[in-house]
Amino acid sequence: MLDQQSLSRSSQFSLSDADIERRKIIVDLTARDISRITALKDIVTQEGERYTEDFFRYLRDLGEAPGLFARRDAFAEAKRRKREHLTAITNAIYDHAYAEQRIALALLYSRYGLETRAFLGAFDHLLGLVGDDIMKRSSEGADVAFRQFMSLKKIVFFDIAIMVDVLMSERERTISQQQDAIRELSTPVLQVRDGLLILPIIGMIDSQRAKQLTDDLLRAIRANRARMVVMDITGVAAVDSKVANHLIQTIAAARLMGSTVIITGLSADVAQALVALGVDLGKITTTGDLQGGLDEAERLLGYRVIREGPGQRLSA
Amino acid sequence: MAIPILKQGDVLIASLQADPTDNDLILLKDELADRIGRLRSIGVVIDVSGLDVMDSFATRTLRGIAHTTRLRGADTVIVGIQPEVAFSMVQLGLTLDGIATALDLEEGRARLQRRADDEASRGT
Repeated sequence: MLDQQSLSRSSQFSLSDADIERRKIIVDLTARDISRITALKDIVTQEGERYTEDFFRYLRDLGEAPGLFARRDAFAEAKRRKREHLTAITNAIYDHAYAEQRIALALLYSRYGLETRAFLGAFDHLLGLVGDDIMKRSSEGADVAFRQFMSLKKIVFFDIAIMVDVLMSERERTISQQQDAIRELSTPVLQVRDGLLILPIIGMIDSQRAKQLTDDLLRAIRANRARMVVMDITGVAAVDSKVANHLIQTIAAARLMGSTVIITGLSADVAQALVALGVDLGKITTTGDLQGGLDEAERLLGYRVIREGPGQRLSA
Repeated sequence: MAIPILKQGDVLIASLQADPTDNDLILLKDELADRIGRLRSIGVVIDVSGLDVMDSFATRTLRGIAHTTRLRGADTVIVGIQPEVAFSMVQLGLTLDGIATALDLEEGRARLQRRADDEASRGT
């Protein structure tokens, strides 16, 4: 479940070779930087384990990403990948595989709820430890050590940029999935009697939702052999001219299929807006509320609802 | 290929299959106008459920048929317009104002029957 393939497959985020090269140019990573980073290999090989432990201890002490620490396997996986990351940095081969590993680790963080701000804090802490060691061990003076550290910082920023992009794209993906779910839930087409459908619309209508609504309605008319449709827009707070025109087109299309549409529940604001926009509602049947619309539709279909008595006692 | 016209009781049924040519449509119009008088039909049902597209010529011809039929004392119902066709017709501004439409053949026939009954009850 935690292997790299399944992690990358679950996301749309990917980088081409050109993207990677572009990102290197953005952080101004040169051949000189790479040779300086390679010189740090000994330090990282010796101290990598400690840096990794410290990185996660820092996060745990802050109380961040409890989801990650609660799962033993996920935590072990994150540690292993972090350790590999440090080694990969000083191997200084920043190719496609390297970027893929960064993406996979970021997806792991995102799945177990590590926030960007906490990640940045812990990474900065880790970088501080590495910086200290570079200064301590440098035999060629502070100047060289500083340049080595600055070169390392470039690749670190390259990594952080990928991490942040992945975390953001994951968040956007979650939002768009939720929007899809809302969209699917929000346009039910229900049959209330033989040949009579109701279509309650709630919330904002944008052009995409209006299009889906048209599709659903026309298909439902055919599937349910509907002769009347009551479209209730009580729950629609605002309608612009584009959406109004789309609704009118939907009604005309339903008529071509042999079905009559009644609109109910136009709120005062929506009614005034439509009049102000000059939308021609002359050919459309409207009634005040859903009850009136259902009564009218039933009358047109030839139904007569009669109350026969006082009704049964509803509560015991 | 000429569009077949079937007689069922006092109703004529024409079924348009995939992509009739303009000429087919004109022939249909002439043939229907002739037969309504000869067979004393009360209505015409035109089934377009086999069509994937409805262009302006087809729409205009159907409108022509409906008006001609009316002048000859019968009613026309267009049935079986598919959801996609209906919506693209609306977007292209092709309308069938004042012409009866129904979901399918059965609905169309029921509609003609209702109208005939209405007229009969008014007559008495």
